[in-house]
Amino acid sequence: MPAAIETHSLELGYRNEAETVSVLGGVDLTVAAGEFLSIIGPSGCGKSTLLRVVADLLDPLSGDIRVLGKSPSAARREREVGFVFQDPTLLPWRTVAANIELPRDIGGRHAAAAPKGKSAELSRMLGIDELTGRFPHQLSGGQRQRVAIARALLTEPKLLLMDEPFGALDEITRDRLNDELLRLWRRTGTTILFITHSIMEAAYLGQRVMVLGSRPGRVRALKDLRDAKTPDNRCRREDPAIVSAMTEMRSMLEAA
Amino acid sequence: MQPMRMPRAMLLALPLLGAASIILAWQFLLPAAGVPPYIAPTPTRIAGAFVNQWPLLLDNLWPTMIESLAGFLFGNLAAVLLAVAFVYSRTLNSAYFPVVLFFNTIPILALSPIIILIFGLGMLPKIVIASVICFFPTLVNMVRGLNSAGPNETELFRVLSATPWETFWRLRLPRSMPMLFSSLRIASATAVIGAIVGEWIGSDKGLGALIIQATFNYQTERLYAAIVLSSSMAIVLFLLVISVERRVARWSYESA
Repeated sequence: MPAAIETHSLELGYRNEAETVSVLGGVDLTVAAGEFLSIIGPSGCGKSTLLRVVADLLDPLSGDIRVLGKSPSAARREREVGFVFQDPTLLPWRTVAANIELPRDIGGRHAAAAPKGKSAELSRMLGIDELTGRFPHQLSGGQRQRVAIARALLTEPKLLLMDEPFGALDEITRDRLNDELLRLWRRTGTTILFITHSIMEAAYLGQRVMVLGSRPGRVRALKDLRDAKTPDNRCRREDPAIVSAMTEMRSMLEAA
Repeated sequence: MQPMRMPRAMLLALPLLGAASIILAWQFLLPAAGVPPYIAPTPTRIAGAFVNQWPLLLDNLWPTMIESLAGFLFGNLAAVLLAVAFVYSRTLNSAYFPVVLFFNTIPILALSPIIILIFGLGMLPKIVIASVICFFPTLVNMVRGLNSAGPNETELFRVLSATPWETFWRLRLPRSMPMLFSSLRIASATAVIGAIVGEWIGSDKGLGALIIQATFNYQTERLYAAIVLSSSMAIVLFLLVISVERRVARWSYESA
């Protein structure tokens, strides 16, 4: 099985007629299939840019990237990549069920490929099966984000990219959704790249945590937490090994 | 302090009472002030005109109604189609949008004689005038509406590999509905104005013609009845637009 993501001296940034702005450079990263990787770093370090390059929303400035053994655009066109934004981005004119099923209505010839009955199964798994007839404005923030996750998983992507999906939620909802996300991850075997601002969330969710620094954007460390967790990525937030890893990451981020 | 909420019955009754008080004042104060009926008739005299002159009013209602409706349909349809062309062709937009804005600054009263010169004296020039008056606001609003999808929504559609066709039908068009309907609501009144203005300038049929003839002949009861009828027509058209909007873009009401 190819690695979910493989990059060599990847440099990311923005280019326009006037100038080229490098945001994050020297990224050599291999994410194994089925891995849960958290990414943490200060604002402007290029976390989201990295995710956007993986999702083929942006071209890298230089270097190589393979997503599931292919180019990012091939992986996107074959609908093997799901994306969850910080803003749930639900279409207000569609019901919950129709929002979840959006990938079935679009995507050219891949559209109908989304398996039938998947939407109901995902709604059940995410506890939103009683809300499927409602419209987005009738939901709470946490419920909306659950719908967005269900929509991203409808096509059974091999890789799920999450850009601070729980950043705008209250802590209790966030903790609950963290546990649900881990449960979904165990059941589906999807590789997840998860961006967050919260050190706790990064350490609790990720088997590894990529710590980024800014100015210039660089990978500061790739912290492996698998020894501090059970093989299926379970831990308690107050485990000493997790706490000491968090302390270490905090000092790295403060130095960065 | 929490402001007192008005009971629903009061909310309905107050505007009716307000209107009734003005009509009553009109009925009794006007003769008391010595205003002769040929300058300003009382409401009961206008009501009398509706009874006595109903066949004449009806005869003149039909042409105006047909012209307004046809103008409303053609003007808005052309605006929507051109808006789509503008949004998808930057060349077309750059070349013609300034011209369109220039045309929009010509007062419809100045444009009407030209239209009548070109199209003669039948119904067609009135339909054209009503179309033109509906056209510009809808064009501008529709262009804005089609461009109102947010960056997140656009990226979501890209991640899902939507074709341009799908992005149009599933995202840009539904997104534009609130803007489209807000201009259709305005157009429901202006279409009637357009038809009547057209009839003023060159016609012997229609409410506009009736208004002009009645004014010159001091038939004020007939004049006022024609005015009431034309504004009723605009109100009916307005309610029609609202009821379609409730069906098509209910979400924009409820989530607003």
